[in-house]
Amino acid sequence: MKKIYISTLVITALLFLLPIPSQAIPAFARNHGFNCNMCHTAFPKLNDFGQRVRDNGYQIPGQQGHEKNVLETPIPLSLRTTPGVSLYHGESGNTLGFGVYGLDLLGAGVLHKDISFLLIYTPRIDEPAGDFTGSNNGSNPGQLGSLESANIVFSNLVKDAVNLRIGRFEPAYQVFSSKRNFYIFQPYEIIGYASPASGAAFGDNQVGLELSGHFRNGFKYALGVVNGTGGIADNNLFKDFYLNLVQVFGKGDGQSAGQRVGLFGYLGEQPTRTGGATSPYTGSNNGQDNNLLFRFGGDLSLNWKTFNLIFLYLVGIDDQAFNLVSPDESYIYSGGFVELDYAGLLNNRLIGSLLYNFVLPPSSASETKVHSVSALGRYYLGDWTAVNVALHGEYTFKLTGDDNTIKEHLFSFLVDFDL
Amino acid sequence: MREIQVLLLGAFFLFIPLLARSGDTPPVPTTKVNVHSLGPERIGDLPPVPVPVNNPQTSKNILLGKQLYFDTRLSKDNTISCASCHSPDKGFSDAGPTSKGIKDQLGGRRSMPVINAAYNPLQFWDGRAESLEEQAKGPIQNPVEMGNTHENALKTLNSIPGYVDSFKQVFGSTPITIDQVAQAIAAFERTVVTTDSLFDRYVRGDEKSLTAQEKMGLEIFNGKGHCTACHWGGNFSDGRFHNLAVTQVGPLQVDKGRFDVTQDPEDLGKFRTMTVRDAALRAPYLHDGAEKTLEDLLEFYNRGGGKDPNLDPLMVPLGLFREEIQALAAFIKNALTSLNPEAAKVQPIPASNLPK
Ligand code: HEC
Ligand code: HEC
Repeated sequence: MKKIYISTLVITALLFLLPIPSQAIPAFARNHGFNCNMCHTAFPKLNDFGQRVRDNGYQIPGQQGHEKNVLETPIPLSLRTTPGVSLYHGESGNTLGFGVYGLDLLGAGVLHKDISFLLIYTPRIDEPAGDFTGSNNGSNPGQLGSLESANIVFSNLVKDAVNLRIGRFEPAYQVFSSKRNFYIFQPYEIIGYASPASGAAFGDNQVGLELSGHFRNGFKYALGVVNGTGGIADNNLFKDFYLNLVQVFGKGDGQSAGQRVGLFGYLGEQPTRTGGATSPYTGSNNGQDNNLLFRFGGDLSLNWKTFNLIFLYLVGIDDQAFNLVSPDESYIYSGGFVELDYAGLLNNRLIGSLLYNFVLPPSSASETKVHSVSALGRYYLGDWTAVNVALHGEYTFKLTGDDNTIKEHLFSFLVDFDL
Repeated sequence: MREIQVLLLGAFFLFIPLLARSGDTPPVPTTKVNVHSLGPERIGDLPPVPVPVNNPQTSKNILLGKQLYFDTRLSKDNTISCASCHSPDKGFSDAGPTSKGIKDQLGGRRSMPVINAAYNPLQFWDGRAESLEEQAKGPIQNPVEMGNTHENALKTLNSIPGYVDSFKQVFGSTPITIDQVAQAIAAFERTVVTTDSLFDRYVRGDEKSLTAQEKMGLEIFNGKGHCTACHWGGNFSDGRFHNLAVTQVGPLQVDKGRFDVTQDPEDLGKFRTMTVRDAALRAPYLHDGAEKTLEDLLEFYNRGGGKDPNLDPLMVPLGLFREEIQALAAFIKNALTSLNPEAAKVQPIPASNLPK
């Protein structure tokens, strides 16, 4: 109750504090007077320009120190939410429901030259009031309250070549961020996949620090030291490491122009014993407190006119200590996705996209195998100041499991808007 | 009781902006040109022209400046005036591609429009002059422009009783000095500003002043076209320097641009962002006139500029469709061409009406 109360208060306060209530534009756009599509192919996907701004600590490349900081601009806060309706058709039957599919509160800005920050808070969303008095009693939230990102960036420690990000952030190896792609219901399955015992999903945000750099010849790197993710608190001395290498060919940054190839690798250790427990998980026959996991793979982003084809392939190898079903084998899985996006109409007011996902788990866990195809259309409303309202339609057909495949269909229509 | 606290708190927050406002003083003339300010700022109306305290805008000062601006007697052989290269009927630039000065000598760079020069934090393509006053002294003794010396030009002016009179009225002293000449010309240039266009009417609230295509052009200018990344604020220019990797044509083999002033390798090939206002009136484009038409220029941007190791990171291929380029061109041609008489229709002063 209290949380709801506070969130409502925060939102109400925000609505009152926004300086131009009729022209609702997210923080960066508002500060600069830019239309969303300056930085986005169409929100939330970044274009080359937006990617370069992000790489430069949210400062316009080459203009650091010549911009207003957060104290000189309107309050650097934005909201994103998506009310709509979805139709689910599965083995267990059909459901049709209206809903508000998430709310992000975002704050970001430049504090001083080459020092900037990003905060993303997702408030807990409980079902409407009835839930508190009914049998669910608030136990079934649509979204958990989380400080999804909270980090500070020190940019240009060495011009372009060394930038430092500290806090909780989206690590650089997530080149195709699920936060900045067009799909709202359909995730990149492999990014969210984890062996049941490690719980370490590739798509999770990380706490730690990341050094990154970009160069005129199109080369980029990122090197991170982080706690690692997973259900169990990271209590080991060994921190997780990752390295991400990118090369862009041609003009652009590989987001909306130029061709980009990337390689990534992640080496982590994860506790195999729950807090306070004296014995490791079942199944572990080399069970020590911590065991190794690897993730590596490659990605590709190809651009032609306003088409963008992206591809990612990932292999995960978790120590056998994490393999609950076949304890004498490492838990090895792989998967990836291919997505084709098209931007059409003037100022990219129309987006169409196709997505194919696949997850290939170890044979012992074949019930988690996934194949899915999705399609999406988005039409944007707005004017020269912002195109910040998207009418969104999305469809997914998903097959889960190997022998007894489960078939699911999900249609959704919603309004995705930012302010 | 709690409610009252909340109300008081609310009232307090509401009042903060009001308190902050009440301390504002009315704008005073300033030597700090406002585009030195931090940006980007939204494109929109031009703010009032910044005027240095030591050179107030009086009608006599302005008229004197206008006379000097159109007077060929400032040049060595009485053939060239400022207006020869900054002509009102060529968008205050010239036919180009680069300028022809005294004895038909070809300069290395394209003439810049004088419109809204008053808003530039630094003058010239490479920003080598700090103010209009400093700038105005340059062309008179530039050997390929007016080919004169300051001494000689002043000797001429001091021998024309009409000018001596006017200068005495404006500055209260004789003989005429080069600083006075520059001040008068600068005062005139500060009136050549484009405060009215269909775009200005649109942002002031006249929804009907732009067609659907022009509105789309404006949206692309501020969106997918990335133009406002550099062309921002009331004057559609950040006043800063960028390397677009412009194809070098004309008399110069290489033009190092801003580097010539700062000697900083970072500045190689950088030129000051030009205003987009009235651009339709002054083809060909860029510092050497390399792009012949507006459409050529937009194609150049659509390719992400030229090829150069120092290409500005803000330059990326844009993926603009043909219709988008047409919309941008329509916006620039129709909506950004000025309508106000003082800028668009400054009438040249014929030689016969100049001071004698
Ligand atoms: C021979 C042609 C020519 C003549 C005559 C000439 N100019 Fe120019 N003017 C140019 C060129 C070319 C440039 C750009 C030069 C550069 O950046 O190196 C320029 C630049 C300028 C600028 C800078 C505008 C800006 O946006 O930075 C101003 C102002 C200006 N001229 C005013 C004058 C005045 C006043 C006179 C007369 C005293 C004059 N010009 C005479 C060719 C000429
Ligand atoms: C990276 C900064 C930057 C961006 C982005 C940019 N411009 Fe420019 N623009 C400049 C600079 C700098 C110049 C002068 C360059 C030169 O002459 O070398 C210029 C010149 C121009 C001129 C020529 C004016 C004249 O009189 O010669 C026009 C018109 C123009 N830009 C329009 C646009 C449009 C339209 C876009 C978007 C499609 C755009 N610009 C994007 C920096 C930029």
